[in-house]
Amino acid sequence: MSLVQTYLLSKTFRSGLFRRSRVEALRNVSLAVERGEIFGLLGPNGAGKTTFVKILLSITLPTSGEAQILEKSLGSVAVRERSGYLPENHRYPSFLTGMQTLLFFGRLHGLGGQKLKDRAQSLLELVGLRDWAKVKIKRYSKGMLQRLGMAQALLNDPELLFLDEPTDGVDPVGRKEIRDLLKELRARGTTIFLNSHLLSEVEAISDRVAILNKGEVLKVGTVAEMTAHHLEYEIRTDKPLSDSVTQAISRITREVRPDGTILHVAVNEKNDLNGILDILRAEGIFVESMTPKRSSLEDYFIEVIRSGEAT
Amino acid sequence: MKSLAMVALTIREAIMRGTLLFYFAVGNIIIVIVAYAIGLSPDGSTIHVFGNPVVIKNVIDLNPVDFILIHLFRSSNFAIMFLGIFAVAGLIPSMLEKGTAELYLSKPFSRTSLLFSRSLGATTGVALNILYFGIAIWLVVGIRVGVWHWKFLLACLLAGVAFTFYFSVVVITGLITRSQGFSIMLAFLFWFLSGALAGRESGLYRLWDNVVYHRVLDGLFYATPQVSGMLENAARVIGNNPFDRMLGPQAVTDFTIMPFVYSLLSATLIFALAAYYFSKQDY
Repeated sequence: MSLVQTYLLSKTFRSGLFRRSRVEALRNVSLAVERGEIFGLLGPNGAGKTTFVKILLSITLPTSGEAQILEKSLGSVAVRERSGYLPENHRYPSFLTGMQTLLFFGRLHGLGGQKLKDRAQSLLELVGLRDWAKVKIKRYSKGMLQRLGMAQALLNDPELLFLDEPTDGVDPVGRKEIRDLLKELRARGTTIFLNSHLLSEVEAISDRVAILNKGEVLKVGTVAEMTAHHLEYEIRTDKPLSDSVTQAISRITREVRPDGTILHVAVNEKNDLNGILDILRAEGIFVESMTPKRSSLEDYFIEVIRSGEAT
Repeated sequence: MKSLAMVALTIREAIMRGTLLFYFAVGNIIIVIVAYAIGLSPDGSTIHVFGNPVVIKNVIDLNPVDFILIHLFRSSNFAIMFLGIFAVAGLIPSMLEKGTAELYLSKPFSRTSLLFSRSLGATTGVALNILYFGIAIWLVVGIRVGVWHWKFLLACLLAGVAFTFYFSVVVITGLITRSQGFSIMLAFLFWFLSGALAGRESGLYRLWDNVVYHRVLDGLFYATPQVSGMLENAARVIGNNPFDRMLGPQAVTDFTIMPFVYSLLSATLIFALAAYYFSKQDY
């Protein structure tokens, strides 16, 4: 069963005099997040990513639709007991130290005593802030605050972790550390819901991705599915192909483009690949590899957003 | 445990903002002035203030200590409420700031509990200051004059209660406006409204001789905390109030608990409305 399942979730913000101005932040969003996966929600600024997470945590109330999170309905305190959240642009009481911040938020989770102190200590070590534990957080850099936010989100050892732009302001080394931490959490069974506009980051760690634009889900799938070109392949051979071989292949494909020992082909159906192999074998050419052609997630994302805006 | 953590953080936040410390400092200045000003004559027969004997003319049954403490209490009321509101009015809007609200609301802590513990923290900070001020003045008067006026302590306790009820107005205005400045302004506006409503029969009624208008004013009077009524009655606990005699022979001059009872009910209602409003808002 999905850990997060939303059904036609919509949110319309009203503002202005007599609340006549309307902004549709989410439109009939139905998504499922499976247990133990890292799910990336992508979208340009203002797409509705943060609103979606806030609705799941009952910080914002939906206009319509339903959701089940951790097998509980929206608004259940149990959801917040078993989940962690790192909001975007989080602000902690600046007069507290890093350790005091974790102890305070730990108490809001109902934790206490030596167990909480030990947990806070180990989390500060985990995010690399052990030496800053007794320093007031008004002296922390943006990256350090982000790390503290990660520690705060992990206080209750959550089953489900919501992260909104977790590497915002973090240096490249810190980003790598956060990515490694997320992979480690996934290995331990934590389900991670990642909101980000950093596509390379999402591509590197997410199992599945959804693309959201103007409050609507445009695509959902694995990163591999999204980056694979439909029926386009790269074939690596041990030597360059002659013109006659290229011509023979062109008769059974949509497109052929030789590039040294790499042959770019677009076929009509997968079965055509066997025909290509037969031609190459007959000519005594050794096939070193045959891989589906991929583009970056960024290319795919831009293509989806543009096509979504065009329709 | 969760509520206690929020109450403690709220008090600490109020102290760190400096406004509560300013409130504390003003209280201490008054205490020092009183300690310097009040004393007994060399023969111990008369109470002196700034070296002048306290002489009360034409007032029956009023002893000089009651007179001094009533004056002090009444003149401190405005400072207590004004600085109290100024010290903690920002604590509700600050809880709702972007980046803070999300952190609090994502925790397994109901919105009602969050609002209640935040309000409790704010009022506790002010009430502790009022009690400190009351106990210090009580000690000063006791040591310098030899009169241990327990009723003054009770009056200070009632002032703390009055502030707590008054704070319910700040809670709801803070939630709606999400602005410290607006909630302070509206709180003071309510203060003056409360005074006008208390004296509506001799003031606001005369503006328009209409039964519906009068009933609306009555409704507002009972549906909102009666700040001036509570403070007036708190002063009456100390002793006979010489100012009551100015109101004429028909005026009620005895202490009555009713303003506190009505204010408890109205503050509870306002807080319930605030909690309902809070539960329906997006952050």
